[in-house]
This record gives sequence, C-alpha cells and structure tokens, in this order.
Amino acid sequence: MELALRNISVSLSGKEILKSISFSVGDGDLISLLGASGSGKSTLLKTIAGIIPQTGGTVMIGGAIADALPPHRRGAVIVFQDFRLFPHMTAAENIAFPMKMRGVQKEEYSKTAFALLERVHLAGYGKYKPQEMSGGQIQRVALARALAASPNILLLDEPFSSLDENLRQDMRALVLELQREYRITTILVTHDRQEALSMSDKIAVMMHGEILQYDRPERIFESPNSREVADYFGDAIYVGGIVKSGVFVSDVVRFGADRPDGPYQAMFRPSSVHIGSDGNRAFNIRRTSYQGESYRIALEHESTGIILNAILPSPCLLRADDRVSVSLDTDKVILFRDD
Amino acid sequence: MGHRRHWPLSLFLLIEIISILMPLFILIVWSLSGRWPWPDLAPEALSLRGIQSLLGGRFDILQVMFSSTGFSLVVAVLATIIGTMAARAIVFYDFRGKKLISFGSILPIIVPGTVLGMGIHVVFIYLGLSDTYLGVLLVHLICALPYTVAIMADITRAVGNKLEIQAQVLGVPVGKAFSHVTLPQLLPGILSSLSMAYIISFSQYFLTLLIGGGSVKTLAVVMVPLIYGGDRTIASAYALLFTLSSLIVFGLFELAGKKMK
Amino acid sequence: MKSRPLLLLTPMLLLGALFLLGIGNALVQSFGYIPAFHLTDFTLRYYEEIFEKPALLDSVVVSLEISIVSSVLATVLGVALCAALVYTGNVRGKTLQVVKLPILIPHTVVALFVIMVLSQGGLLARTLYALGLLNSQKDFPAILYSSSNLGIIIAYIWKETPFIAYFVLATMSSVDSTLGEAAENLGASEVRSFSQITLPLSMPAVTKAFLIVFAYSFGAYELPFLLGATLPKALPVQAYIEYIHPDLLHRPYAMAMNGLMLVVTLLMYGFFYGLARKGDKGIGESGHGT
Repeated sequence: MELALRNISVSLSGKEILKSISFSVGDGDLISLLGASGSGKSTLLKTIAGIIPQTGGTVMIGGAIADALPPHRRGAVIVFQDFRLFPHMTAAENIAFPMKMRGVQKEEYSKTAFALLERVHLAGYGKYKPQEMSGGQIQRVALARALAASPNILLLDEPFSSLDENLRQDMRALVLELQREYRITTILVTHDRQEALSMSDKIAVMMHGEILQYDRPERIFESPNSREVADYFGDAIYVGGIVKSGVFVSDVVRFGADRPDGPYQAMFRPSSVHIGSDGNRAFNIRRTSYQGESYRIALEHESTGIILNAILPSPCLLRADDRVSVSLDTDKVILFRDD
Repeated sequence: MGHRRHWPLSLFLLIEIISILMPLFILIVWSLSGRWPWPDLAPEALSLRGIQSLLGGRFDILQVMFSSTGFSLVVAVLATIIGTMAARAIVFYDFRGKKLISFGSILPIIVPGTVLGMGIHVVFIYLGLSDTYLGVLLVHLICALPYTVAIMADITRAVGNKLEIQAQVLGVPVGKAFSHVTLPQLLPGILSSLSMAYIISFSQYFLTLLIGGGSVKTLAVVMVPLIYGGDRTIASAYALLFTLSSLIVFGLFELAGKKMK
Repeated sequence: MKSRPLLLLTPMLLLGALFLLGIGNALVQSFGYIPAFHLTDFTLRYYEEIFEKPALLDSVVVSLEISIVSSVLATVLGVALCAALVYTGNVRGKTLQVVKLPILIPHTVVALFVIMVLSQGGLLARTLYALGLLNSQKDFPAILYSSSNLGIIIAYIWKETPFIAYFVLATMSSVDSTLGEAAENLGASEVRSFSQITLPLSMPAVTKAFLIVFAYSFGAYELPFLLGATLPKALPVQAYIEYIHPDLLHRPYAMAMNGLMLVVTLLMYGFFYGLARKGDKGIGESGHGT
C-alpha cells in the first residue's frame, strides 16, 4: 500500500521533534530514512504506526486517512531496535502471535509460523525461547513476526545496528529478499550511509526533524541540495571562491559556472581529486591512511593551507611530505552559495 | 497510550483516590468537632478542644512527637548506612554464601514482628537491652534493613562502579573516589531508603511496646490508648497529629529528592 | 581485597545474628525447652495442643481466613489499580503521590478510620440513615469486633491495595511501554495486549507482593487487637496473651503459636525463593527481564 505523509508535526514534552514532514512512498517500495541520532527518525516511525499521535498533519495509508485508526488496526508494523520478542513465548509462539490476534485458527497459524521460520533460515528453532538465542537469530524471529502480521507498511527501526558487520550483510540481503517477495512498502531507518545507498529505492535525509532531501540514492549523492546533505555522506571537500561573470575563481581551481555573482563553496568528492607529478607541485602530502584496498591521501595547498582528500588504489608509493600536483575534475562539482 | 479514552480505569482510579482521601478528611473534621451526635452528617459545632488536648494533657504529646521523630531519624540514618555498605558488598563482590545472605536479608519482612518480638524479648532481657532505647533501636533496625538493603542494592547496581574505578585510576584515593564520585549518584536511593526506614520505625507499634516496655515512649505507642479511649474528638486529634507529622517528614524527604533533580 | 566485603557486611550480619537468635529462641522454647522455668524436655505437645484445643485451633483458622481473603482481594484490586495508573498515564506525579498515602499511615490509625466509617454509629451508617435506608443505629450490621472480621479485612485491603500497586508499578509500566507497545503494534487490542503480554510478565512482581502482604496480615498484631472479636482471637493476639500470662507455664503455648506462624510464613518464603530461582532473581543480581 502507498503511504503518504502530509505536514506531519510532532511535539513531545514541549519540544518540537518533527516539523511539517511531507512525503509519499509508492506501493512496494523500500525507502530509507537516513539521519543522525536525535533527528526524529524513530519518532516518525512511531507516528506512522499510530503509537505517538501527531500534533498536526495527516497519515494516509493505501489512499485512506489512517489517523482515526488505533495502532493495532493500522497494519503499520515496526521491527524495533531492541526487537522486543516476548520472553515468555517461544520463537514459534512469538511469530504466531499477530496471527492469533487476528483470529487465525491454530492449525493455520502453526503452519505459517513454521514456514516463516524456514524463510528466515531458522527451521528447527521454533521451540527456543528468546533468552536461548543469539542476536542475529532474535532479529530474524522479529522480522518473521512482523511479516506474520501481514503488514501494509513495514517499518524497520535501525534493525541492524546491534549486529556485527558480517551478520549485517546477511540480514540486509534477507530483508531485501523478503521485501521484494512480499512486495511490502517498507521504511528503513538507519544512520548508515552505505546501507541507505545500497538498499533503497529512495532516500529521505532527515535532520533536526525535517526532511532535507528525498530522492533516488544516485541523485542524493551526486546532487545534494545543501551542504548538510552533502556532508552527511562524508568525504566532501570544499574549496571557497567567487563566481564572477560566469566563472568560478579560487586559489586552486577555476571553471565555468552558470550562477549569479557572489561567494561560493565548491564541493568535490575525493574521486574528483587527481594527483600527478607534472605541474607546479603546489600540494604537500600531509598524511596517507591505509584502508585495505585503497589509501586516503590528505593534501595541503602550500600557499593557502586548503585541504583536499584523494583516494588512491593500493599500493601507494607516495609518502608524507612529498610534493605533488593536484588537478580537480569539475564534472561533478556542486556549488553552494556561501553567505 | 495516554491519548486513548480509558474511562472505566479513570473512574476506578477516582474511586480509589476518594476512598484514600475521605478517611483523612473525616479525621480532620472529627478532630475539629465539638459535639457530633448520631445521626448527624456534620458536627453540631466546631471546637478547638481536640487541638487543646494535644497541647495540654499530662503527656506533653508534642515532646513525645519530637523525640519520636528524632529517634526514627536516627534509625533511618543508621539503617541507610548499614544498608549501603551491605548493598555494596552484595553488588560488587563475589563471596561464599552470597546467595544465602541475599535471601536472608529479606527474612524480617516475611517473618512476623510478633514472632521476632516474643522470641527476642528474653534474649534482650538477658543482655540488659529490654526496656531501653538501644534495644528498641536494634529491633527497628532489624525491621528496616531488608528495605534499605534492597533499595540501595538497586541503585548501587544501576550506578555501577565504573566511574569510581576511573577516578581511582586517575589517582584519587579510595575514600574520596567513593564520596565524590559514587555517593552523589546514590543520593536518590539514599533518600528513598531514609524515608522508607523512617516510616517503618515511626509507625512501629508492637515491637516498640514489647521491647521498650513502659520506658520507651514513642508517639506510635503512646497514642494508641488515647485513640481508643472513647472520646472521638480527642482520638482524632492524636491520630491527626501522628499522620501529619509522618507526612511532613516524608514530604521533606521527597522535596529534597526533587531539589536534587 | 578479600576482607572488604566482610567488613562492609559486618553490621548487617551482626543484626542478622540477633534476629536469628530471637527466632531460634522462640523455636527452642516452643519445643518446651525453657530451663529457667525448669522445663527441660523437648516435646511436641504444645504444638499438638494447638490443633486439639478448639479455641486455639480457631485462632489459626481466623488468622488464615483474614490473611487469605484480604491478601487475595488486595492483590486483585492492587493489580487493577496498577493497570489504571499505567493506562491513564499516571505513572508519576500528584495522583501517584495520593495513591501512595496509605503506605505512610500505620495500622493503628487505619483501625480508627475503619471505626469512624464502619461502626454502628459511623459515617456509612449515618449516610444510610440520611438516605432513609436505615432506621436506627442497631439496625446497622456489626461489622467490627465480630467473628466475620470484616473490619480487619477491609482495613488490610485499604492499606495493601496501594502497596501492591506501587510495588508492581515499575515492572508493569516498563513491560507495557516496550512489549505491550509491540503487541499492540502487531495487532493486539489494548485489552489483549494486557492479558497476553503485560499481565503475565508482571506476575513475578505480583506474586512477590502477594506473599509479602499475606505473610504480614497473617502475623501482625495491631489490627486484630484493635478491631478483632472477643473470640476467637487471631493467632498473634492469642499468642501475646499467652506470652504475658501470669502463669509462666503458658509460655511454651505462646511460643508454639509463634512457631506455627513462623512455619507458615517460612513456607511462603520458600515459595518466594522458588519463584526467584525460576528466572527472576534476588537482591544480589540484576533482576530485570527482557
């Protein structure tokens, strides 16, 4: 089902947490809600689910206004960060719970529960209690339980943050698989950029209770609409300068820019920074950081002190204090007005 | 959850609140009444004779109230100190018999005070502790300790000793590390423990009566014959005095707790 | 430092020793061993006589009746009150302060409340009279000082319901805000979320609270003394009468009654310990589920 939020505002204990949020999610899409802790992501999930009432605005599920529906009738199911498996029930009983609540008969819900256990690669774990299971297993049970509720909307609240790296990859793959198979409209809350970029049909970048940009991952990364969005993905290098008569001029680069005159910050990603040996060797290598398959090189412009970052594949023959020349690839540069 | 209508539960809550406040209200009215014969629903006249009997009378009841308050405060402080020490041992250390001690500390709550009293009375007589303030103090401590240990164990566990160890690692001596780092964090639990122990001691009747004999005059003991003596107005005045003095001290503890937030 | 825990525990251990000494003395005397009175044989006959003499047996029955009825009712009402506090969002604040009041009021004053409201000349009688439902004082049932012990039971319920609610509150509120919320999110109505998830997971705390109030109401002196019938007297009152009896040979009877109270409450305690081992914990370890 499609989800639409119109001007959702939420205040808790006098503080404004969400400020007039509006966006829509298409039926069967998976979008990420990306932002730092405290940006209001979890609150938004709870508002969609009906657990926290909004102080303004409307939630629409499947084209109908959902505001009057209590949480247990909205069909917006959350997989919480702390999983919240019922400790006095087995894994199978946990998964069967939402079906029981809907009045499904025992024979049917038992069958479905075991089928779901298999689906999340936990066949045979039905009789285990949560206390007897590992973090990764618990999460899979929580996921199966959410699916057992036949949700209209699936809301995942930083589901992978308590797992180690290897487990995370597996779980991401599983979630994508299930989401595609069941065609459930899904919102994934995360602060992990890679996760958002790799999994989503669209990303909503949230900061301080507002959505800064909502678009496909490629467009968010390549055409951020503000410094904050650009900075969130890290690795943004800024060179300050001035645009005059259609040309951007700075101490290290100049290029044509169809923008009104004024001061600007030109944003580059490290992939646009090229190191060479011919030229004026105006840059000094400050530091090289080994990252496995590549090195991160920090470069300092001798005369102005401007810092740039570049990435070179291993092995790297450059060392600290070497002098090099740097050219900037202006294909993907983005100009932000500097007021 | 709060925005849903729960009127049956709200009604139940209201009924409960009324049933709690009503007797207190009646107590106040009775203590200020002159004559209040059957079948009137309100006293014929108000009078201050109930209050006056508090101020006059052969007992100097106010003196008893102040000394009882002081006595119970001493019990509270000692119970809290002992409880804090025991809690620290239970939470941070592993030793043989720990489980036994853990569960043993709850015994005085489960075993009736009458059994304790009648059993320990002879022991106290033998030790010369019966009919003394010290004897009553010890018995009150035994009753209060399960609560103070439980409360302090909870908060000691929640606060942990990580910061204290950090301070020690930085060179702060052990005693100062405790008093400057951990103790301030334990304060909410300390206040809770103090108020709980205070109420337990201040309200204690049977044990104070038995162990203290006629020599230890606490308000809780002294007021019983006065309350059940027959004159409803005077009875209510004494009961009111007791209730108000407990509430005030308890309220002061709560206030101190709020100030610390 | 190996001696450190011992040092910290010393005061508590000393008091504990005193406590055990008292209990031990009561037990020993209950078996008839009181050298000071020239009784030097260990015997069970004082216990036997409790169960043979109808008057003494009645005391046991009365005490059990009072404690079972008042504790069960107080627990049911207490859990309901706790649920009311949680679901109306009154987990903190002024309402909770008022609910906590009875915990601060001693049983000796509560007995006075019961007299003021439920005696034949009390407020309830006067209200019924004013409403025309009663003709005279004597027509109002004698609730107090009667063998129904209704006054005592009501007094215990008045005082224990808020205690149980407060005791269970932290647990129920925490379960409700996490697991209860998840249950509703998965399709359970509030009622079903409470009955399937919140209540079952609060039961360990509820059971502990029940055991505490049961043990207390079984062995406490004040209320049966102030509000009880002339006969039969509740066990603690009867025990004390035997204890201060001028004929010192009554002492072992008193102690046998104490011994009986001790056994009943320790059985309760054993139950508590059994509960604790089933996954809930005692004081020394972290006791939070989930």
